[in-house]
Amino acid sequence: MTGLVIGGLLPEHGLGGAQDLPISRGLAITGAAIAVAVSFVVLAIAWRRPRYDAATSGRTAPRWLSAFVDSVWWRGLLRLIGLLALVYLVLVAVFGKDLLINPIFGIFYVWIWVGVPVASLLFGRVWRSISPFRLISTGIARVSGGEPDEGVFRYPERLGMWPAALGLLAFVWMELVYTHNVDLSPVRLWCGIYLGVMIIGGALFGNTFYARADPFEVYSSLVAQVSVWGRRHGRLVLRSPLANLDSTPATPGLIGVIAVLFGSTAFDAFRESPRWLRFTQDNGWSTYLQNNLGLLGFCVAVGVIFWVACAATGVGPEQSRRRLPDQLAFSVIPIVIGYVIAHYLSYLVEIGTQTLVQASDPLSTGSNVFGTGGLTVPYWLSYHPTFLADLKVIAVVAGHVVGVIAAHERAIKLLPVRHQLTGQLPLLGAMICFTVGGLYLLFSS
Amino acid sequence: MRRLVAAVAVVLLTSLTLTACGGGSGSSAQDPSHLPTKVIDVTFSGESVTPNGDRYDVAVGQRIELDVTADKPGEIHVHSSPEQEFEYDKGSSTIAVKPITTPGIVTVESHTLDKVLFQLQVK
Repeated sequence: MTGLVIGGLLPEHGLGGAQDLPISRGLAITGAAIAVAVSFVVLAIAWRRPRYDAATSGRTAPRWLSAFVDSVWWRGLLRLIGLLALVYLVLVAVFGKDLLINPIFGIFYVWIWVGVPVASLLFGRVWRSISPFRLISTGIARVSGGEPDEGVFRYPERLGMWPAALGLLAFVWMELVYTHNVDLSPVRLWCGIYLGVMIIGGALFGNTFYARADPFEVYSSLVAQVSVWGRRHGRLVLRSPLANLDSTPATPGLIGVIAVLFGSTAFDAFRESPRWLRFTQDNGWSTYLQNNLGLLGFCVAVGVIFWVACAATGVGPEQSRRRLPDQLAFSVIPIVIGYVIAHYLSYLVEIGTQTLVQASDPLSTGSNVFGTGGLTVPYWLSYHPTFLADLKVIAVVAGHVVGVIAAHERAIKLLPVRHQLTGQLPLLGAMICFTVGGLYLLFSS
Repeated sequence: MRRLVAAVAVVLLTSLTLTACGGGSGSSAQDPSHLPTKVIDVTFSGESVTPNGDRYDVAVGQRIELDVTADKPGEIHVHSSPEQEFEYDKGSSTIAVKPITTPGIVTVESHTLDKVLFQLQVK
């Protein structure tokens, strides 16, 4: 623990000490080969008529379960948890010490950034359920007699998820590029701005603002589309992840969200590679500037690859090609999840547990408020690098398989008959590009 | 749906069998105390330093020694868990890094120059 008590002395480094070992060349090639093979198998033999319809798909959840999930006290309990978490965060942000053992860093960079999406994959729209902002805006609506989903103004439809994409970019910039990312005051400032924007946005546009513009809610709710939990006409249903994913609404800006999530994770792997380090440190330019450009470049590259694939897709005469990226972007969500799990799993387990230890001592006074201060951090995954590497490749390939099937389903639903097979090829190419690129980064950095 | 699941399963099984034949896990349980000490030369001169972002293989528990030659004093940071920090003086000095017990990539930085010196690939 002694080494950790040196807050603010870690330039160009986020939380945590060692990173994962790279996966082996053989494993990377196998994973890539499987991804390519599966892609064409799906194309060749999958169904030719659309299978999923959000209006009918899914099995209604047992009555006791939906009664429980929709009960006032369960919803209230989740909101209370969110509110208490916010109070706790404000407490450690304002009164906590500027040390690395301040739990705010682990909560911000690990629990919220990696933990909430993983929880959403298992339990559905976690952030939406605990979001204290929704509690605030519902409270305001009740007092003023308005409708909580609509604020004073209508949320502009064309804005879509672009504000969330921008918010996510601001987060990954803070995490991966900004050199003082584990100092208290910049993290506090970031959270303060986020809080302010959320409260003002919610007052203006109601809960719609949170569904479209809260970066964490958008991320969590998109991941939840691959969980088994869905809603049909407001009723809780259990769906296969494929059917659930297919019910993702086409929203402007979805492609931006995907580009930031995938591009930033890829950049996180790339920035630690000896090649990038040698290049940026040798050429005499500022490494900070180059990291800024690197992050932006990766996100833009992902967006452009996807956009080009959509532009190369054959469409019918009545069809708008410009809407294609929004209509198809959802199929990349499972690829993003697979890659994020591969990249951050050991980080979540190890630094996540370490954060639980630190959370018990909110003000760095040596206290043990929650009784979790004595937990030992499980380094089991790090001690079994072969197993971890296998798990990573399985996650990436599984994400790819689900993504390709989802894209196939949407293509036969959207495209005219004569383009249904050939029209899928560019998108398939983009997906193989993402998956193989991701595997290459897991192997080479 | 069934046809698709079956086909995907066949692809997965075939490739898994293929890799199972090729992949041999070379986990040789060596006693780290018998390994020779890994010596890494670090030379600071003005704003530049060698090594510059290179990667070295070390074994879990292997002793690591940095032979530092510097034109002015400074600080080196080893991002292992727990973290390690070392100061060095002008001239030649030797730093003994505590053996790293968890496999992974450990970054070693110079705080004086704000640069990554090298990474240790601990296996």
